[in-house]
Amino acid sequence: MNFVLVGVSHKTAPIEVREKLVIPEPKLTEALVTLKSDPCLEEGMILSTCNRVEVLVSASDIPEGIKQVKTFISNFHQLSQDFLQKFLYDFTQVDAVKHIFRVASSLDSMVLGEPQILGQVKTAFSHAQTAGTAGNGLSHLMNKAFFVAKRVRSETGIASSAVSISYAAVELAKKIFNELTGKTVLILGAGKMSELAARHLASSGISHVLVWNRTYQRALDLAEIFRGEAIRPEELFKHLERADIIISSTGANNFILNRADGERIIHRRRNRPMFIIDIAVPRDVDPEINKVNNIFLYDIDDLRNVVDANLKQRQREAQFAEEIVRQEVESFVNSTKATDLAPTIVSLRAHWESIRQQELAKSRNRLGTLTSDQEAAIDNLTQSLLNKLLHGPISELKSLSHTSEGQVHIETIKRILGLKDR
Amino acid sequence: MSLLFLRLAIALYSIGLLHSFLTIVTRKKTLFRVALFGICSGFVTHALSIVFSWIETKHLPVTNYHQALSFFAFVVVLAFLVSYLWYRLDSLSVFVFPLVFILTLAAVLIAPSQTPLPAVLKNLWFYIHIPTIFLGYAAFGIAFAASIMYLIQENELKRKRPQAFYYRLPSLEICDELGYKSLSIGFLLLTIGIAAGALWANKAWESSWEWDPKIIWTFITWLTYAVLIHYRLYAGLRGRRAAFMSILGFVFVLFTFLGTRYLVSSNHPFVER
Repeated sequence: MNFVLVGVSHKTAPIEVREKLVIPEPKLTEALVTLKSDPCLEEGMILSTCNRVEVLVSASDIPEGIKQVKTFISNFHQLSQDFLQKFLYDFTQVDAVKHIFRVASSLDSMVLGEPQILGQVKTAFSHAQTAGTAGNGLSHLMNKAFFVAKRVRSETGIASSAVSISYAAVELAKKIFNELTGKTVLILGAGKMSELAARHLASSGISHVLVWNRTYQRALDLAEIFRGEAIRPEELFKHLERADIIISSTGANNFILNRADGERIIHRRRNRPMFIIDIAVPRDVDPEINKVNNIFLYDIDDLRNVVDANLKQRQREAQFAEEIVRQEVESFVNSTKATDLAPTIVSLRAHWESIRQQELAKSRNRLGTLTSDQEAAIDNLTQSLLNKLLHGPISELKSLSHTSEGQVHIETIKRILGLKDR
Repeated sequence: MSLLFLRLAIALYSIGLLHSFLTIVTRKKTLFRVALFGICSGFVTHALSIVFSWIETKHLPVTNYHQALSFFAFVVVLAFLVSYLWYRLDSLSVFVFPLVFILTLAAVLIAPSQTPLPAVLKNLWFYIHIPTIFLGYAAFGIAFAASIMYLIQENELKRKRPQAFYYRLPSLEICDELGYKSLSIGFLLLTIGIAAGALWANKAWESSWEWDPKIIWTFITWLTYAVLIHYRLYAGLRGRRAAFMSILGFVFVLFTFLGTRYLVSSNHPFVER
């Protein structure tokens, strides 16, 4: 539990600084090896994305660890420490644990709840494993971080609502139709905007695309992209009723659909609902049409409002997520406490050392006068005997330290030797 | 014994009620599990209450208001559990549990009175007429809850300012489908129940109709749902208007069930006087 995390993120550094600190994937192994070459740093991993560069290590000495990581960053990028100081933050021990849990759970992301970060953290960890810089301590921590991220995702709604306009439109469509398979979308105006919106819908399972444009050839071209059907300019009203979803972005100056059209269409559709997305400015569809039963009209501002509401929703959900992180940090700290070996090893050594001293004192009188060389030789002999005897058991204990079995062994040793933690 | 189990059931239902409100407020799924457990165990206790009451009276215990309300609440829970197995809609519970709770509470508050069942009513028709009508009413209860969910979600979508319900309620399509399916099942059961009642009355009294308020209101209810289904099939009536009609239909159900006792006097033979 002597983790140190040093880094920069979108919260502390502008893009001009972050881009200087990025460690590209091909250079990652080299960087990890350099990092671990410092004797104070026992384990290490590097997370480098466009929004953050963070170095997580376990260090034998914490203040020294922070210093060494900062030196590493400045040396690796050839940037002065004075310059970096303004942007770098550092977390140690429990705070470092909490920070990496929050990062993996996307609570520290620029877009709250965005899904990519967990994958990036996983990749960063597997790089460290491949480079051989991730040991038991780091593996234990990172596996817990992945578990926390999964819990946050499944138990809170932090990632459940759309935060881009195109996805908000798809999400709204699903709130109306439940699923989009088998539904028909009609594109009015074969421009870039409508093509983009249609692509999003098509990837969500829309099965039929109709395209209408003032120039028929453009309609044909776009229809071909979606393997859809082009509608002749004069035949629009004949086909309107077939559409479950209409995406409109024509260059028209007047409304091309008004309330009366809406009422007529919905009657012909036998009241099956219709979702109209008007992304044109000036608008193509009379807002009055939203008052017709079973027609839902959203213009570009409406979609923006939905995105804003979704972001607020994510912030509310983030509070539940923070609570989960808090619980899990606590449980992680407790689990490492349980297997913390240091006190046992210290008292184990002290126990044997005091026996050695006692025995040495007892025999000393019987040995008569000795030269200082001879005294040193006896001291060395007993010392190295003790070290040899203890080496096996202690390294075995260390390798078991992250298992529950390790805890059992520690207890047994303490009981047999009557040890108390110091 | 029966009353004891009923009180236990309402205690368990109240846990379900509380937790389902919390589920909507906090959106933590773990709480819904607890709520569902409360409702399931309440359902078992409720079933025991009815079994004990059945043993005491030696017939299906629906012959006074205490028993009838308790039985009604029981079949509503049954209908909820069936639709939950089908659709897995957590949010449905929020609209069904209050109904279950109120019905059970009313049953607990009304003291049971012991009136023996007239011999004329003890036959097979009794076991066809009454359970089918009750089950039909329970299905209408689910359709009612689905219609409320539809109206709330439709309002969210029309207002374009999504709030809590937008995120927690299912899509319009699902609300509509659940509502229409429950309503169709309810209508079928009610029709069978009414037909059985008519045949039974014919046999028992050898005269067909006595137009008492209960029968009249049952017909009004039946007619409401018949009109709704007719327009759905022939004119595609759906959405907001259909939801309103389904809610109206359930108001008639409740009035037929409760109002005919307290607001207008009914001579319908199966209830206590």
